[in-house]
Amino acid sequence: MTELFQLAANGLVTGSIIAIGAVGVSLVYGILRIVNFAHGDYLVFGAYVALAVNVGWNGHIVLAAVAAVGATALLGAGLEFALWRPLRRKGAGLFSLFIAAIGLALVLRHVVFLVGEARPRRYDVDVFQVYDLGGVRLSQSQLIAIGIAFSAIVLVAFLLARTGLGKSMRALSDDRSLAAVAGIDVDRTVVFTWVLAGGLAGIAGLLQALILSAFTPNFGFALLLPIFAAVVLGGIGSAYGALVGGLVLGLVMELSTWDALAGGAPSVYKPVVAFSVLILVLLLRPQGVFGKARVV
Amino acid sequence: MSTIASLQFWAFVGVIAGIYTILALGLQVQFGFTGLLNFGHAAFMAVGAYTMAILVVKAGWPLWGASLAAIAVAIGFGLLLGLPTLRLRADYLAITTIAFAEIVRYVAINAQGLTGGPVGTIALAGPGEAASYNRDWLEFQRSVQDGLEVVIGENATRDVTMLVLVWAVALVLLVVVEAAVRTPWGRVLKSIRDDEDAASALGKNVFAYKLQALAVGAALAAIAGLFFAFQFSFFSPGDFDPLVTFFAYTIVILGGTARNWAVPVGAVLFGVIFAGTRFFDFPPFSLLDSGERAYVRLIVIGLVLIGLVLFRPQGLLGKREEMVLE
Amino acid sequence: MSLLQADDVAKRFGGLAAVDGASLTVQERSITALIGPNGAGKTTLFNIFSGFIRPERGSVLLNEVRIDGRPPHAVNRRGLVRTFQTPRALRRMSVLENVLLAAPHQPGERLWRLVATPGSVRRREREIEEQARELLRLVRLDGLAQEYAGTLSGGQRKLLEFARALMTGPRIVLLDEPMAGVSPPLAIQLLDHMRTLREERGLTFFLVDHDLEMVMSVSDHVIVMNEGRVIAAGTPDEVRADPLVVDAYLGTHGRAVG
Repeated sequence: MTELFQLAANGLVTGSIIAIGAVGVSLVYGILRIVNFAHGDYLVFGAYVALAVNVGWNGHIVLAAVAAVGATALLGAGLEFALWRPLRRKGAGLFSLFIAAIGLALVLRHVVFLVGEARPRRYDVDVFQVYDLGGVRLSQSQLIAIGIAFSAIVLVAFLLARTGLGKSMRALSDDRSLAAVAGIDVDRTVVFTWVLAGGLAGIAGLLQALILSAFTPNFGFALLLPIFAAVVLGGIGSAYGALVGGLVLGLVMELSTWDALAGGAPSVYKPVVAFSVLILVLLLRPQGVFGKARVV
Repeated sequence: MSTIASLQFWAFVGVIAGIYTILALGLQVQFGFTGLLNFGHAAFMAVGAYTMAILVVKAGWPLWGASLAAIAVAIGFGLLLGLPTLRLRADYLAITTIAFAEIVRYVAINAQGLTGGPVGTIALAGPGEAASYNRDWLEFQRSVQDGLEVVIGENATRDVTMLVLVWAVALVLLVVVEAAVRTPWGRVLKSIRDDEDAASALGKNVFAYKLQALAVGAALAAIAGLFFAFQFSFFSPGDFDPLVTFFAYTIVILGGTARNWAVPVGAVLFGVIFAGTRFFDFPPFSLLDSGERAYVRLIVIGLVLIGLVLFRPQGLLGKREEMVLE
Repeated sequence: MSLLQADDVAKRFGGLAAVDGASLTVQERSITALIGPNGAGKTTLFNIFSGFIRPERGSVLLNEVRIDGRPPHAVNRRGLVRTFQTPRALRRMSVLENVLLAAPHQPGERLWRLVATPGSVRRREREIEEQARELLRLVRLDGLAQEYAGTLSGGQRKLLEFARALMTGPRIVLLDEPMAGVSPPLAIQLLDHMRTLREERGLTFFLVDHDLEMVMSVSDHVIVMNEGRVIAAGTPDEVRADPLVVDAYLGTHGRAVG
């Protein structure tokens, strides 16, 4: 039984990180219809900015987190002005945007490789400190991750539900032309969406790097498909759905290794579980759990 | 550098360009002509290479039989992939095909008994034994090489022989694909790319044709995989990383989609960008070590992609009216 | 004899009933029009007839055979072709290729026939090229045969759609707003073509359009829809005088007094 709770706890940790990444992807997709293939590398960018602060300048991990969020938010906004807006102005279609995102992913990731190092890095935190909560063991990193992740989730939920900006974002995601007619400043809302998505990516990147103990710039792509799976599971365009989708996916991935389930899937196949969820959802219920069935 | 050494190097680059030409040609059929966003193309290459190697090493098949079977299995895999996913919208299809390809790669890494695991086919014959499926191929290559020696003397090295073989096949395939595209069959594929609802309203079974395009593309990728296996003797799952698919897309877009003859041009250009930067002994390249140069190359590829999308969506050789990046 | 028949067809989108129990009949060798105010469900009905939408209820018979729920390509093979409100020209193909594509029974479209029977492939290709050029001459687009269809003007694309539709060898042609955006002389030409084709080839035309004058002048038979249902059907004169039809177009004048 404890094993089940342990797996569930691990699942919540992974799931909340995926959830944070997924909200960013979902918001961007909902408003811009861009499948941001580079999102995983926004996470990596954030993680390495944090590394520079934490290890390079001996800053506290919290300071590093703040730096990660700020830098990635800036990156999000900057790329909107440098890349996404010009592309939209030129009437770039779906495929163009996808290819541009791939190009961006390549550039981001390998700039980080160039500036950082290829060897696995880790943050300056105590990896040996482990807490035992009624039989469930969580490392300090994992607890920090859960704490920050849940705070971020609450903040985002509040932002989307209660603030004017959040309402603009949801309106834009629902029906772009209608929103523009209703007086919403589309361009400004788009920039803020990228800022939010970027900031969230920074957090997610930092947290993932934190719990990985040792990471390289490749971790972003490894997390990207699970993030897409969470977005699709929750319903494309639904930010709340992405949150729920991420948590559910994290739990499913961890629990799939439970040996009460016919021996359990080997732990190396956890990503395959995520990929399979992605494929199954798209085949059986493409609008996801919370999405609207769009007349395509 | 002596002439021989640089000839060897460029022959090697040429072999890679040839392999990528065949791979990208498969993508050209799927994407350039039919408009399918298949981002799992590298998986077909992997399936082709691994099937051949497994059949030869584990089941004792002769090389030629195993190679034909490899192509057939890749086609089968393409149909398996296409049946459930082709009815998805374009962006969903892209993500799903990447997911499929990643599943293939993960299985290749972890099913050690079947595929040799992360170290690749060198471990196919089990621990302690180095597997080789290359024997028959090396014999064949040797005989071609002997023939070549008569023509070009001592320049007929292994790499040059491979160059000739790969490009001979690539050129044949280019001619075949070009001919196929000019047929009524090719016309249907092109109509699907432009407007599949219109094609459907005119009596064309769009789904069936998409499957065929996928199958043809898979077959071509499998052939590329076979040559990859022959050239490198041993390969591993990391050789079929999503990056390979992105490179193939870069080649197709560089050349300007819907233009078969642009594919080898794009592949050669790509090969030069990739390999040529090794020899740039002037700043700023000389400031970087080989690992760093590898990153710079990938950054360049990424910037090329972004640049193409922003400034020249019809590719280097394409016409504006045939722009696919719209 | 009834060529196309719909019985109690219905389709909802979300909470909205786009088509709410529509029944109609299109006679063979007629020019029949489908009219009604915006939102009446006309285009949805066309989408159902041509196989793009599956109805939730009811049946559609083409030549006494059920076609509801069949995919678009199967419906076309049975003899029904439709044009689109916004012409869907295949932009990156030439005008001629657009029409060639539409020809039915092309052995060259099957990979194995290309290899096994190249002779018959070539023969058929020559046949359809002749037919295609003739159709292009009919719609005065023969001079643009080699141009990319993407370079055509809106009116030219409509004509191309028309020629392409005819190329499929249909028994009934569904035209979705064929005159919208077309210059008056061109519109008159199209109407003439329709009449001629009906006389000479026994074709049936079923069209949706908002130009009521034109519709009344060319049609043998008019069907009126409102709010997802057929509310009237008959000759142009009968329909013009029908108070239900007047209501539908002018509002609830009658009902308010009721």
